[in-house]
Amino acid sequence: MKKLIALLVAVLMLVAMLPAMAESTIDTSEHVVLTYLVTGDRPTDRTDEVLEIINGLLTEKVNAELEIRWIEWTNWQTNYNLALATAAGDIDMIGTATDWLDAWPNIQKGAFLPLSEEMLQTYAPITWETVPAENWELCKYNGEIYLIPEDNYAQWTNHGFMYRGDWATEAGLENGVHSWEDLGVYFQYIKDNKEGVYPWDVDGNGSSYSSQLSGGWQTSHTGNILIEGLPVSLFYGESKDNPYTLSRYYLEGDEFVNFAKNMKQWADAGYWRTDVLNYSGQQDALMKEGTSGARQHHTETWTGFRTDMEKAIPGSDLRFFFFGEEQDNLVSLNITHGAMAIAQTSKNPERALMVYDLLRNDEEIYRLMMYGIEGDMYTIDADGYLERPADFDSATDGCTFNWWWGRNDDLGLRTADRDWASIDELYARYDEIAITYPYGRVVFDLSNIQVYLDNISNVYNTYMPRICFGLMDDPDAYVAEFRTQLQNAGIETVMTELQNQINAVYGE
Amino acid sequence: MVGQKNVTAPSLVQYHKPGFFKLVGQNKALLLMCLPAVVFFFVFSYMPMPGAYIAFTSFQYNKGIWASPFVGLQNFKFLFTSGQLTLLLRNTVLYNIAFIVLGNFLQLLFAILLNEVQCKQFKKTTQSMMFLPYFISDVLVSLLVYNLLNYDYGFISNLVRSTGGEMAKVYQMAGAWPFIIVLVNLWKGTGYGTVVYFAAITGMDSSMMEAAQIDGANGFQRIRYITLPTLKPTVIILFLFAIGGILKGNFGLFYNLVGNNSMLFSTTDIIETYVYRSMMNSFNFSQSSAVGLFQSVVGFFIVIGANAFVKHLDPDYALF
Amino acid sequence: MNKAASTPAPDFKHPSHVRLDTSDKIIRGFTYVLVTLFSLMCVLPFWMIVASSFSSESAIRLSGFTLWPSEVSTYSYELLLRSPDQMIGAYVVTIGLAVVGTAVGLFIISMTGYALQRKDFPFRNGIMFYIYFTSLFSAGLVPFYLLIKQTLHLDDTYWAILLPLLMNPWLIVLMKNFVKAIPHEITESGKIDGAGDFRIFYALILPSLKPALATIGLFLALGYWNEWYYSSLFLSSQVEYRPLQFHLYNVINKVASLKNSVAGSNVVLPTDLPSETLKMATAVIATGPIILLYPFVQKYFVAGLTVGAVKG
Repeated sequence: MKKLIALLVAVLMLVAMLPAMAESTIDTSEHVVLTYLVTGDRPTDRTDEVLEIINGLLTEKVNAELEIRWIEWTNWQTNYNLALATAAGDIDMIGTATDWLDAWPNIQKGAFLPLSEEMLQTYAPITWETVPAENWELCKYNGEIYLIPEDNYAQWTNHGFMYRGDWATEAGLENGVHSWEDLGVYFQYIKDNKEGVYPWDVDGNGSSYSSQLSGGWQTSHTGNILIEGLPVSLFYGESKDNPYTLSRYYLEGDEFVNFAKNMKQWADAGYWRTDVLNYSGQQDALMKEGTSGARQHHTETWTGFRTDMEKAIPGSDLRFFFFGEEQDNLVSLNITHGAMAIAQTSKNPERALMVYDLLRNDEEIYRLMMYGIEGDMYTIDADGYLERPADFDSATDGCTFNWWWGRNDDLGLRTADRDWASIDELYARYDEIAITYPYGRVVFDLSNIQVYLDNISNVYNTYMPRICFGLMDDPDAYVAEFRTQLQNAGIETVMTELQNQINAVYGE
Repeated sequence: MVGQKNVTAPSLVQYHKPGFFKLVGQNKALLLMCLPAVVFFFVFSYMPMPGAYIAFTSFQYNKGIWASPFVGLQNFKFLFTSGQLTLLLRNTVLYNIAFIVLGNFLQLLFAILLNEVQCKQFKKTTQSMMFLPYFISDVLVSLLVYNLLNYDYGFISNLVRSTGGEMAKVYQMAGAWPFIIVLVNLWKGTGYGTVVYFAAITGMDSSMMEAAQIDGANGFQRIRYITLPTLKPTVIILFLFAIGGILKGNFGLFYNLVGNNSMLFSTTDIIETYVYRSMMNSFNFSQSSAVGLFQSVVGFFIVIGANAFVKHLDPDYALF
Repeated sequence: MNKAASTPAPDFKHPSHVRLDTSDKIIRGFTYVLVTLFSLMCVLPFWMIVASSFSSESAIRLSGFTLWPSEVSTYSYELLLRSPDQMIGAYVVTIGLAVVGTAVGLFIISMTGYALQRKDFPFRNGIMFYIYFTSLFSAGLVPFYLLIKQTLHLDDTYWAILLPLLMNPWLIVLMKNFVKAIPHEITESGKIDGAGDFRIFYALILPSLKPALATIGLFLALGYWNEWYYSSLFLSSQVEYRPLQFHLYNVINKVASLKNSVAGSNVVLPTDLPSETLKMATAVIATGPIILLYPFVQKYFVAGLTVGAVKG
């Protein structure tokens, strides 16, 4: 804190002394090396080569260079959190996210540096200008900005089912799958007509699907909206017209029971493997071999996989049924789904901001990072699409920065090989119905209810996978038991507390 | 070993208790011999040990362990209020007992039996074969088990079906897993564990064995009266060591075999797997430290008790 | 003893000229059957791993592991050998760590074990407790991580792997137990000859400790060989070559840890995930050589060494 105040004072003094602060007046005489902490495996492609070029440019512009510290996927949760917990000036820039990388808890634990408006204005002026004020609001905790959001990047990571258009047509679904009922018809058709094909195979073990499947049914059959950043996916807002009242979907009512019954019926019909909770297969490969009928993941995955499938099985016409389609219930991606934070112990936060500003907004550097060296690793065709060389192998010839915390559509390129007509058609539909994530300004303080939440998570992890894959004898009784257990674990206390915290931000 | 008993009388009869420094002086060489180990454990075990205080704090990254706010027993609460503690304790302890008892039984059995075998080639080959499973990592073991037992195309399922039988849905049967897990554990550890007993048998006084044979002792008698007593101290030490970890489970084995399959939790969930799932929900280093501390304290008292008991029976066999 | 010595290749405990009675026959018959069965049980799954590493990917996906690959393919091995640098580097690092660590560890452990079993060493119980206590209480992840990283600054160096695995209480107690079996007279006779404790240990005790050294050396070496946990914590990807088992662990576990934790979230999964056969092939390559270590160590268990020989 002391350091912080000293820093603020220093910045304020600087601002006072130099009213017309231009970038050139910032003292960058000392060359610094900044460490960028990012999840991902160390690439084996040409990243180092590209990084060298980028570092040349960064040195020239702000006298700094970048070093990447990869948190490998093996044990990444432990290693990522350990790195944050024990940081002592060895990391500067941190890729984070409020939904999958626990940005808010890490802010509460003091991992990140609060960024004053003056700092952002001074050291990351372009970013400061281009991120609208209301978006900065969503990056605040206790009135201070901690995150720089990735808010200028169109991305849809809403989940759903990818299915084969050719088989759907054969199954009599000429217009495709647009509801869970259609999906059932599609699965049954495969079961009856495609020998040796599982209608749907999970990718990784089934237990990790709970929130997607149950939430998928829920958004398809109700107007409920998921509240992110909580350890269990049991908390939803009522609807887009009444978002700030918590839904009691999981505690009472028939819709959740219907889901359990439906899944039980599907399980009995053999739409997935018997041992789905332990099966860990490679879904993409099975699809490409034609031995699997559907894949459950999100839109972004579909956009790339459609191309892959078309290459593997021409005419497969992979399409996407998105959860919530029946109800037009869709929420845009939260802008802090990817965000950059500065480490609390960073020795050079100013320079880190300057580098971020360049990485995000300098066309040359941005494209180097995202696509590699122009003319060598890619070209831009006449229509402005990105074209890779014919013999390009992304595993060895590309570059990888896992830059998920400041992608920028103004500078980005579309790859030529994707089916943009189909993609844009879906995106247009999305744009029409999607609402902005309504809870961006709530940062929950869970300290008083953490114990309840832990117990609730345990109940959730015990019951939910079985409900989602229909692995119970009597859905009614099993759901009832689940609900009793939730009550015993203290869900009402948690609901009340969360409701109060929401009310405190958005009013009654 | 057995004969050694006679010579254990202290070599120096001390009439008065010498002072500490005098003792140090007298035992300079032996102390020096222990020094590297003492330093090692000081650095790698005792130096970080005060950090276990983290279990009583709400750990703030920017403040470090010592300046983080003290929260008392808050971090222990999640385990004790979960309603699962009894189940977790039962599973953890029962599995450990099964591992210790059956594991040592098999290891002893194989060590003694192989010692009776004449054919060197057989001995060597089988010992090496028994060692193989030790090298198969838990992740691979889980793949193997899945490929053997899964309902749809498992090796054993296919075998059962080809003989006209009906395969059980093993991955939905909680009751089957204690057997599977114990079996896998024995399969993995027997070869490795046998080595300790082999070495102990090797260290045995062979003249005793010969004398016994000349006296006409049969195979069973030799095992009963010579081999087994020789192995007794090793068994006791192994037991004392194992019992300290009675509340600690082998996370890798359980997590990889069972994963998050909640249908099997009632018989397979141990403290480690439960804590792991909690950690994945909300990353809290203090909580996992608290659980570790709880396991250690319980283990500590059990060991102190067991050691005192052993010491009471025969001070020679006690650990300390 | 003389009889045993006159046998050309003494299998040290049972001179073969002693008559076999019924109980011996029962024991032996039982042993052959039981041991053979168990050994087969141990080998079969391992064989399945080898077989599937030579299988084609689609065959594995369709029908799982079999005893014989239905479609033989060496693709995974070709893939692995295409860039052998990583594998060779991992080998060199692992072997280096195992050799150095085992040698140093054995030396310290045997010395400590010897001192701690000396009945005339007044500090033995205190030191034993001091050592044993560490097997019960550990500081937990964060304090240990801070020690390695911030106090000792060993992160991203091989020291972070070499040092923590040098010894553990269990091996010291085991060693102490082994040394105990050596009659006290040896130490006494050494003392009478006027030898110092170091000399007694070095010249009289160590030579008769071969089975113990072999056992504990084997455990130490295996500890280094199978190590992946400390590597995953302390050797970041900055380190070019990381131990073999960590390399293996990465290949095998990456998919699982990634899918199970990220699948639910919104990350796009990388597309270059290793296939089943590649995992198996990596496992075979990583396990191969260490299997040869055991027969080598084993000879110390059957060699003609006996305590009696020293005595006689």
